[in-house]
Amino acid sequence: MMDVQTKLAGMRTAARKAITVSIVLLGLLGGSAIAQGGELRFCLRSEPKTFDPLKVEDDASVAIRYLTGGVLVRLNRQTQALEPELAQSWKVSKDGKQITFRLRGGVSFSDGTPFSAEDVAYTVQQLMDPALHSPTGDAFRSGPGNVDTKIISPTEISITFPAPVAGLDRQFDQVAILSAHSAKKEMAVLGPFMVADYKPGTSVLLKRNPNYWKSDAQGRKLPYLDSVRLDIQPNRDVEMLRFKRSEIDLINSLDSEYFDKLASTSPQLVHDAGPSLDSEQMWFNEVAKAPLPEFKKNWFRSATFRRAVSEAINREDLSRVVFRGHAQPAAGPVSPANKFWFNSSLKAQAYAPDAALKALQGDGFRMQNGTLIDKSGNAVVFSIITNSGNKYRERMATMIQEDLQKIGIHVNVVTLDFPSLIERMTQTFDYEAILLGLTNVGLDPNEQMNVWLSSSENHQWNPQEKAPETAWEAEIDRLMRAQASSADPRTRKESFDRVQEIAVEQSPFIYLVNRNALSAVATTVQGASPVILVPQTYWNAEQLSVKEVKSANHTGY
Amino acid sequence: MLGRRIARHGLAMLATVLLGGLLSATLVRLAPGFGVDEQQLDPHLNSESIQALRQARMEHRNIFRFYFHSLQRAAHGDLGTSISLGQPVSALLRQRAPLTMRLVGIGLLLSWAGALAMALSAACLRVTAYDALTTAISGMFLCIPAAVLALLSVLWNVPGALAIGLIVFPQVYRYARNLLAKSYSLPHIITARAKGLSELRILFWHVVPVAGPQLLALAGVSVSIAIGAAIPVEALCGLAGVGQLAWQAALARDLPLLMNLTILVTLVTLLANSGADVIGHMLRGQEA
Repeated sequence: MMDVQTKLAGMRTAARKAITVSIVLLGLLGGSAIAQGGELRFCLRSEPKTFDPLKVEDDASVAIRYLTGGVLVRLNRQTQALEPELAQSWKVSKDGKQITFRLRGGVSFSDGTPFSAEDVAYTVQQLMDPALHSPTGDAFRSGPGNVDTKIISPTEISITFPAPVAGLDRQFDQVAILSAHSAKKEMAVLGPFMVADYKPGTSVLLKRNPNYWKSDAQGRKLPYLDSVRLDIQPNRDVEMLRFKRSEIDLINSLDSEYFDKLASTSPQLVHDAGPSLDSEQMWFNEVAKAPLPEFKKNWFRSATFRRAVSEAINREDLSRVVFRGHAQPAAGPVSPANKFWFNSSLKAQAYAPDAALKALQGDGFRMQNGTLIDKSGNAVVFSIITNSGNKYRERMATMIQEDLQKIGIHVNVVTLDFPSLIERMTQTFDYEAILLGLTNVGLDPNEQMNVWLSSSENHQWNPQEKAPETAWEAEIDRLMRAQASSADPRTRKESFDRVQEIAVEQSPFIYLVNRNALSAVATTVQGASPVILVPQTYWNAEQLSVKEVKSANHTGY
Repeated sequence: MLGRRIARHGLAMLATVLLGGLLSATLVRLAPGFGVDEQQLDPHLNSESIQALRQARMEHRNIFRFYFHSLQRAAHGDLGTSISLGQPVSALLRQRAPLTMRLVGIGLLLSWAGALAMALSAACLRVTAYDALTTAISGMFLCIPAAVLALLSVLWNVPGALAIGLIVFPQVYRYARNLLAKSYSLPHIITARAKGLSELRILFWHVVPVAGPQLLALAGVSVSIAIGAAIPVEALCGLAGVGQLAWQAALARDLPLLMNLTILVTLVTLLANSGADVIGHMLRGQEA
């Protein structure tokens, strides 16, 4: 019986290997010639809210904007360097208020309407309309006043902002140019693909833009693909099943659990690009008017208490157990994946429960029968809220609960659905600590401006302070404004490095881990090179192609 | 008589729909997390944009004013705009309803076909072992949560309609089996059997007229069970129907969408039940 089982297992393994080898061989044979045509299929995890690139706010619409929108400059997701697209060259003024673009000539929108500086001026004016409330537009709004656009010639335009905009050229990576004259309005595009069909709740079909201006090194017109089919699929289990059944070709931001499952059977399909820009973090409620007992507010407002909690959390364990090794302990507000802005002098907080306890004892806390007691005799107990349904955060909260128990702190873990959590976080301030993640899309520190400024709505631990309530918050305000008003990258880096140091010293956010950028790509997709920046797998969509391979499924099941 | 009955049903339906709409709107309004938008956590947004987002959500704070305005607009064919999807509710319903109707329709057909076949055979055969087997099968499906059946349908790549059918099946089977067993044990049917009448003649001439009106009532109830089952099935299977829309609307506290969906589901349920009642009344009238 045992022999039969062993033989069967052997045969299964051999069959799997044979399929894998044949797929790899097919890939190698086809590698020399890039396939043209074909359809790339992957899932959007929600319904796109808009096809208007200026109003984009949700991930699904961002994906469509990336694939269809033509931009003046593009941040290369692999090198993190800015590259010319519709603008052949550009120049930012010394004061950081003005940018002048020299545009590519002979370019047309997907409907044949010619592209000129007039379209850029129209797009900028639309984008900066205060009534639009566009996240893309708000990123340019660094001071009161109007934006001035000056068309120098059909291929040259200068845009002047009322106040300096730090990283001004990089911000244009998100601005898809609209046509000022096309009757098709936002459906006339300059990107590699255009929206051909939309079945609400089901799918979006993008077809190759016949007027796309780019060609490859051999002079072949880009994109290689005929079409991209985006299936709307909110359920990640279904997305994974469909990938296994070869119904889709890519998965972005793959769960570490799924990653390992796929890796065990088909390692050639999965990609771990290393730490992403996203971070998982927790913070305490420091809002003065929060409905919390005064003694708890005192704990949460004490930097010693926050640092001690940070020291008592074992980040290595969080990475290893919760994320199965596909995460790195976080060093601070910026992920090491952000090559230029990461402060390399910062190291991830080492697990040091003894040092944490000593620091707390120095601050008047004492241990009594295994429970930490404050100066006034109150047992240290608090609750951590996280969003329900996120298994990784639920597991992290449980592990933090166990870690803090070791220094006598009792933690209650509470999960709430997202709207309830946001209400507590932003309106009622009825919480003690929150564990959430921050999804970073951009690299520039200005992207985090509304998190760090004490007067901001998104200054999560204590929003909308009338004046900075602590000296270190005042210092962060000063440094963030200084870096935003400077056009010199070195000066900006110095200021932002100090912000990162203060953030670690004061620990208003306790940074836990940076998740790795995990993805899955079918072997039929040629030219894929997953990166850490969004969109991980299809950042070079115009150079991707899909080869038709008659295989039952990607995983060889 | 029939006209008065239909008018009474119409009035009751109107009152229930209006009350149901108000109650659902009130519940959504009072739910934690109402009036907040996930988008306000976007660090790119400045204070003015966040305030504008909040202001947009504040419009629906006064529930009675919102409800009154919604009814006024609905009278002109405007069902409002979904907060979470930014599309007109009427367009969303038009896009999604056909799939749900198909799923629910096929699911009901499958469940009724299976349940009636098993209940009839159990009642006719009167074999204890067979009866126990059919009861055990329906009991098993009754014990499996709807979400598990939906997940299994995804895993085994079977149509969502089958999952809905399997969710409705045990409910229909249990009532139908008891009803038919009770009808078969009536004295005149026992006498008919003793006189040697064929099973088909007994079924169509003696059992169906007795059990028919109650089976019709059960049919009305099964429609609402099937619509309820469509929510987890569509949400978990990723099917773009009204059920998935309801799930997303609930998560986003989308008041205009949720209120209209509640009214729609209430209306369909009441129509099914009232229809069954009126047809049952007509059949009884013909018998009399």
